[in-house]
Amino acid sequence: MALLQVNDLRTHFFTRDGLVKAVDGVTFSLDKGETLGVVGESGSGKSVTAMSIMRLTPDPPGKVVGGEVLYKGADILTMSAAEVRDLRGNRISMVFQDPMTSLNPVYRVGEQIGEAIRIHKKATKREAFERAVELLDLVGIPNPRSRAKDFPHQFSGGMRQRAMIAMALACDPDILIADEPTTALDVTIQAQILELMMSLQERTGAAIIMITHDLGIVADMADRMLVLYAGRPVEYGTAREVFYSPLHPYTWGLLESLPRQDIEGKGELHPIKGQPPSLIDVPTGCSFHPRCPYATAICSAELPETRIIEDGHSVACHFAGEAGFTRGNAVKTKGVV
Amino acid sequence: MGKYILRRAFQMIPVFLGVTLLLFILTTVIPGDPVAIRAGERALSPAARAAFVEKYNLDAPLHEQYFTYLGGLLSGDLGESYRQNREVSQIYLDLYPNTARLALAAIFVEVIIGIAAGIISAIKRYSLLDVLVTLSTSILVSLPVFWLGMLMQVFFGIKFKEWGLPYLPISGMGDPPDLIHLVMPAITLASVSTAYVARIMRSQLLEVMGQDYIRTAIAKGLTDGAVVRRHALKNALIPVVTFIGLDLGAMMSGAILTETIFNWPGVGYAIFAAIGQRDWPVVMGGVVLIVIVVMVINLLVDISYALLDPRIRYERRAV
Amino acid sequence: MGALMRDDKTTSANDPMQPTAPPTAGEAAQVASKRSGKSRTLWSDATRRLRRNRLAMIGLAWIFIIVVIALSADLWAPQWLGSPSEFDSTTMGELKHLPPSAEHPFGTDKRGLDVASRIVYGSRYSLAVGIIATSIALSIGLVMGTLAAYYGGFIDSLVMRLADVFLAFPYILFAIALIAVLGRGFVNLFIAIGVLAWPTIARVVRSSILSVKENEYVDAARALGASDIRIMLRHMLPNAMAPIIVYGTMSIGGAILSEAALSFLGLGVQFPDPSWGHMLSEARGEMISYPWLMIFPGAAILTTVLAFVLLGDGLRDALDVKMKD
Repeated sequence: MALLQVNDLRTHFFTRDGLVKAVDGVTFSLDKGETLGVVGESGSGKSVTAMSIMRLTPDPPGKVVGGEVLYKGADILTMSAAEVRDLRGNRISMVFQDPMTSLNPVYRVGEQIGEAIRIHKKATKREAFERAVELLDLVGIPNPRSRAKDFPHQFSGGMRQRAMIAMALACDPDILIADEPTTALDVTIQAQILELMMSLQERTGAAIIMITHDLGIVADMADRMLVLYAGRPVEYGTAREVFYSPLHPYTWGLLESLPRQDIEGKGELHPIKGQPPSLIDVPTGCSFHPRCPYATAICSAELPETRIIEDGHSVACHFAGEAGFTRGNAVKTKGVV
Repeated sequence: MGKYILRRAFQMIPVFLGVTLLLFILTTVIPGDPVAIRAGERALSPAARAAFVEKYNLDAPLHEQYFTYLGGLLSGDLGESYRQNREVSQIYLDLYPNTARLALAAIFVEVIIGIAAGIISAIKRYSLLDVLVTLSTSILVSLPVFWLGMLMQVFFGIKFKEWGLPYLPISGMGDPPDLIHLVMPAITLASVSTAYVARIMRSQLLEVMGQDYIRTAIAKGLTDGAVVRRHALKNALIPVVTFIGLDLGAMMSGAILTETIFNWPGVGYAIFAAIGQRDWPVVMGGVVLIVIVVMVINLLVDISYALLDPRIRYERRAV
Repeated sequence: MGALMRDDKTTSANDPMQPTAPPTAGEAAQVASKRSGKSRTLWSDATRRLRRNRLAMIGLAWIFIIVVIALSADLWAPQWLGSPSEFDSTTMGELKHLPPSAEHPFGTDKRGLDVASRIVYGSRYSLAVGIIATSIALSIGLVMGTLAAYYGGFIDSLVMRLADVFLAFPYILFAIALIAVLGRGFVNLFIAIGVLAWPTIARVVRSSILSVKENEYVDAARALGASDIRIMLRHMLPNAMAPIIVYGTMSIGGAILSEAALSFLGLGVQFPDPSWGHMLSEARGEMISYPWLMIFPGAAILTTVLAFVLLGDGLRDALDVKMKD
């Protein structure tokens, strides 16, 4: 049994301007100690997927309207509020995008890290503080004992994100969801944070869901990858498959827009043309068709079914699996991932 | 922190000088013979007039009078009333406790009802209760306070008595002063501010509840109640406390309307009456005292703000 | 509105009327707002939101009704209700203190004058004080606030310290003192209320201009050689308009309350001119025996001020103005 199995998850927002299907039929599974990369542009439903797993979508206007989220076989979506609270910050925890605003400005960092331990492990204030110091040390904050007494504004951005990670790891969770954890940080700090997460994963054995718009980030880390477009999964498979034999034109576009040298014959960047669609009037048929260079009549008419190409590698494209189509158009990647 | 307080204190000096100067000018530009006006409607014999001028140093140049007055202020001398034959400082020593009593009672009402209403209305957003709170705060800020006082007097004072119900006294402080006499004046004085407190509390709490760190707290597994109590309230209360502090300052400067309606012997009514009688030393002294009290309270508010918000405390930022 | 709206208050504290944060709908809401931003301009968007606000529309309708009543009073009020100020000493005895009836819907006062007629004519004073005092406050506040924000430095400190001096005074006492200097009468009352309200407006103007001052289009205009005055009038003020409109609307209500309070204290409008505040002042001695003398003028003040408050709230939400000092 997978540690986390998400089946056909649908989260919709009922806004004044209309119905927004932010997440529409997302399916994936996550095993113990594994890393899943969830990739997509803004508005693709990555963050809402993460929030739905934790039941954190703001309601109203958001509502999970369908699907299941099975943690060790139990559906989080149908649990009581108390059961969900038991998981949050304890078995499943989350690192958010913006470390500047995700820490409470009026409490000391150590207190905030220790809070989850006090709730879930019934630790005393003293014990929680000691554990917070340990955790700060673990995430590489120098002088952890004195820094634990600092307020968030006394930390730099990178340090705050380290503190957020320490907070997420406080109760040794099984799953760590990281929602664009490095987007708000300087490039040099980004690499440090990713490295830290990988080394911590080795030590704690936590599974990680890494949400990002940057395929490059997950290429190095992920065991499996899920590519989302306009709330729908377009490609899902092992990182090796998605990176080396991608099948969906959108994934090709993402790969081509990467500033990397390991894509054959292309020294320059090729960004995907056009804008991500408005989620209120999603294009008919395959929602990627207005931007897809290979789109034909069927693409605007019919929603492509998700096809399983090989075991564990699925894709939602009308032409996926047609050998000629893929061979003729796909990007070639080489070298070590 | 010390530097911050010191700087704030220094900023008060020009404001204080400005206020006294403005007031001094105001009392001298009033049309008519200055001595006659200052002496009020009494007809003065030349001898009495000379004695009056002599006593209050009225023929000195204006700037000299101003500096003499300032000098007196520094040694705690507020001058003597033209009308009451008493030291101005003595008058206010008697009246200020009454004003403080009323102000503190009103602040009490404002804190309890305003904060509670604001929290309830934010937590139960869009519920019937929220609509009721929002509507009643709009009505309260639109209500002439003196009318509210009058309505309460007629209803809780007169009608309740007629109907044989327990009723509230409609006038004075009681002899000796008691709590029951404080009820209606305090509610009247607090009415507008209570509405403001409820509104700030509501909007602040709603704003804070939308912050990222609240999501972090929920993701940690806190109960809804703990999220509000531990993470939202402390942040949301910062501006509320600031408002209440400044409002205390405002109430400590006397409440002319409330004092008038309920015959409450406070500083506001005393200054109002003194303006009518052209008793300038009483007016000047009262306003100077009020300005000092208000500025000190504002300084305390700034300090408490810095204590509540670590970002200000540690950055020692000027406001 | 700060100081204006509050009874016995000195300082204008942090303005409590902050808009509520819109619900965060994550990516969905972002997409939604991106979409609406494209198709509608700020003002038409604001109009649409204002029209959807039921309370604000009720306020607007009430303001409209009062304006019509005030303007048309001469055509019907004296004929239907009787004169608001001329009384006949021969019939006074039988006409005085009549309770509300079909003939005198709000009853009569101690002079035998029809209360309803006096309230109808009193609306003229309330609206006049609201508009004139607010215009005075806006004119001074706009000039001071713009100068302070645009030039900064010494001028800024000077203007803001001056505002501090004004705000350090107990508001009503200051008004009373000013009226003592200017003399009684409603014109002076209007001036006093308007003059005392400028610091609040100046602060609002200053902060909203400061927030647009750093924008690139101001730099661009300067680079193109536009004069200071032109930059202020053409580029900065229009962008600072929204908070000014909101505060302006609310301070009309505040000025009406101030007039009522000062007239109540006997410093404003005097008999025979009808003013709601002065009517309450006269009713005070008789309110136990003749409650209608107090109830109707008070209700007139309340509903009129409330209308401006509701409209102001609606404008604030519609224009998405963050209110702070």
